[in-house]
Amino acid sequence: MSAQPSTPVTIIVGEGTCGIAAGAKDVFETFRDMAPETEIKTVGCVGMCHEEVMVEIFDDEGGSYLYGKVDKKSIPAILKFHRGEGALPGDHLIRSSVQPDGAEYLTRQTRIALRNVGRLDPKSLEEYRERGGYRSIEKILTDGISPEEVIEEIKTAGLRGRGGAGFPTAVKWNFARSAKGDEKYLICNGDEGDPGAFMDRSLLEGDPHSVLEGMLIAAYAIGASFGYAYIRAEYPLAVEHFGKAIQDARIAGFLGKNILGHAFDFDVKIKQGAGAFVCGEETALIASVEGNRGMPRIRPPFPAVRGLFGKPTIINNVETLANLAWIIEKGGAAYAGIGTGESKGTKVFALAGTIKRGGLVEVPMGMTIREVLYDIGGGPSTGRPIKAVQLGGPSGGCIPESLFDTPIEYEALNATGAIMGSGGMVVMDTRSCMVDIARYFLEFTQIESCGKCTFCRIGTLRMKELLTRICGGEGTMEDIDMLENVAHQVKSSSLCGLGQTAPNPVLTTLKYFRDEYVAHVEEKRCPAGVCKGLITHTIVKDRCTGCSICDRYCPVDAITGVVKQPGSWVIDQELCINCGMCVEVCNFDAIRVQ
Amino acid sequence: MEQSSLEATVDKVLVQKWIAEIGSDAPAAVPLLQAVQNEYGYLPREAMNIIVSETDISASQLFGVATFYSQFRLDPVGRFIIKVCHGTACHVSGADRINTALRQSLGIKDEKEDTARNGSYTIEDVACIGCCSLAPVMLIGDETFGNLKGADAQRSLKKHARQHGEFLPGHEEKRSEADAPEKKSPGKKKKEML
Ligand SMILES: Cc1cc2nc3c(=O)[nH]c(=O)nc-3n(C[C@H](O)[C@H](O)[C@H](O)COP(=O)(O)O)c2cc1C
Ligand code: FES
Repeated sequence: MSAQPSTPVTIIVGEGTCGIAAGAKDVFETFRDMAPETEIKTVGCVGMCHEEVMVEIFDDEGGSYLYGKVDKKSIPAILKFHRGEGALPGDHLIRSSVQPDGAEYLTRQTRIALRNVGRLDPKSLEEYRERGGYRSIEKILTDGISPEEVIEEIKTAGLRGRGGAGFPTAVKWNFARSAKGDEKYLICNGDEGDPGAFMDRSLLEGDPHSVLEGMLIAAYAIGASFGYAYIRAEYPLAVEHFGKAIQDARIAGFLGKNILGHAFDFDVKIKQGAGAFVCGEETALIASVEGNRGMPRIRPPFPAVRGLFGKPTIINNVETLANLAWIIEKGGAAYAGIGTGESKGTKVFALAGTIKRGGLVEVPMGMTIREVLYDIGGGPSTGRPIKAVQLGGPSGGCIPESLFDTPIEYEALNATGAIMGSGGMVVMDTRSCMVDIARYFLEFTQIESCGKCTFCRIGTLRMKELLTRICGGEGTMEDIDMLENVAHQVKSSSLCGLGQTAPNPVLTTLKYFRDEYVAHVEEKRCPAGVCKGLITHTIVKDRCTGCSICDRYCPVDAITGVVKQPGSWVIDQELCINCGMCVEVCNFDAIRVQ
Repeated sequence: MEQSSLEATVDKVLVQKWIAEIGSDAPAAVPLLQAVQNEYGYLPREAMNIIVSETDISASQLFGVATFYSQFRLDPVGRFIIKVCHGTACHVSGADRINTALRQSLGIKDEKEDTARNGSYTIEDVACIGCCSLAPVMLIGDETFGNLKGADAQRSLKKHARQHGEFLPGHEEKRSEADAPEKKSPGKKKKEML
């Protein structure tokens, strides 16, 4: 089968948040104990989160082996193989230099923003340097490239903001560049509020120096000498790695006064968010950094003119910044060579939900949703067909299967009623209820609405109430009309992006899945079997073995019967709260949900 | 609440030290509160009063900030916090069930309460914690658990309690055997990854 490996020299363990959650620390220690002679390193998240814990082993002849789903128990077999004492652990091998490319997952991707993530130790500035890091800012400073020329290069690249709105980066920078004032600020937006997205976390955790170098380039272009990195408090590892990157860069002379001996000063401070979705919005973020409640204000004046502490301020998303060093190094034209018409370059998506190969994917713009879901994602994980995909989180919408051939481009996605968003892509199969999803997002935006403007504050509440009623089987057809009406009003009359986009999940589900709303109202039925008020759990007598496990897990003692007497088991419908615990624990598929 | 026993005793010197380190101007409000909460798990009234009297931050700004951001808690919490993710991916993968299961294990019956009577654990719902591919996900303290079913969540909690010398309340009669090692739960395969 495969050539014999030679002696392992380096073992690399993926230790992003997801790797750690899957047990990477244990795996790391087991390798250290069992292979003390070998160098063991850690890297950020490779993006193949479905394969965590991931381990890559390099041998002394340059061969490499990537393993997935590694745990303590599989390590002995892996090490045996590498010591020439055992067979290839085929179950765990994803790809090797001897058997290249088991994973279309990686080959269909174009990695620019994620170019280093999973390939280097995020805590090592040297490794970033070895992979060409800080060469772009060096080139700018030593070749004397002017800020205007930098902006021109980004314009040629056609880069648009990756934080959701897709505003051309060069245009925004020009506003700040030409704004009057001796003091300007640059803010890195790492608030990542979309509850289903983790691209920015992975970048900050897995390749913090590339984000920092992006901040240097942006600061140089607009003339800022101080910057803030606003990072969600929910991302402790990102805060730690980015903090280390700042320290190391300062020591190496990439931050501070007269950087690399040139007349350019820049330094960065981290500000941790405190859990408010609206703080991802520029003006709310500024209020938050200033120490206030994160309430947005009317624009104009735009932050590029009057921002943080009243000074011109540019806010860029983490992923936007991570692209910059690549663009300066390879040229704007090279970036613009990827992608389509108005959407250049690549976009990173966080693929999650009922998908086989969930994780981080970076694809060239123009690829279709279907290609991402099936060619890269491997299709549904549940055996049930994919019904829809949710793009853009609370500001986005649900795109139905019939539109999966839509290319990933800003304008094409907007036309569906969803948005490109920041990159959350949650896949849903036929067991997801679209009305429930709409209710879920409205509950989210209603809680997160800062309360400043009436349409957003009251409108989201009314929509949530209507949706809760429909999910509970108490809705009427008039409620559906009312919902649509309120949605349009909130969209047109809210102050900031939160309210203006909050109705999108409602409007898209109404547009593409109206039949599900109607089933809830007219037939009092939840077709996906999700909405608790409309379903019942019953025991299928001829499947039940009387093992009593459901009884042991039922939190409300609604299940009764005699052990080993299958026919005797029943669920008391008065007591049942439809939590679904019994369905999960039953080994015989004997609970029916209707 | 009858959980006044959980009320923390505030060390004034410590709060003054944070003020010296972090600052006493308006932008220091959020980081100061974060420091307080890191130490006590919530924002004791006394600590907030010290900040107001010893910095330029006004009471209205400080309390305004404390009530605006979901990270901040004004009530005492248990010795450990369990954060159950309710992000989109976790929601569609059954996050609600994790809450039901944990509440059962902790014997929290009143819907309005989120802390076990014995002050051991507090359940908190949070937005995405960024490991959506492992949904549904929860954190106990700093430890992340993914690919959970309700029963896995209970098992992980039980293990955590054992390791940290905590006692799980509310296990009367037959419930006490519910956590005995199951024969073959369907969640078993997944659990091995953890
Ligand atoms: C409610 C709301 C939440 C937002 N959340 C984020 C976020 O979490 N991260 C982000 O980068 N941009 C977010 N944005 C977009 C920002 O306001 C802003 O457009 C972006 O950070 C600009 O950077 P870019 O041009 O590089 O995309 C949000 C906008 C709104 C209205
Ligand atoms: S949705 Fe739960 S971790 Fe992202």
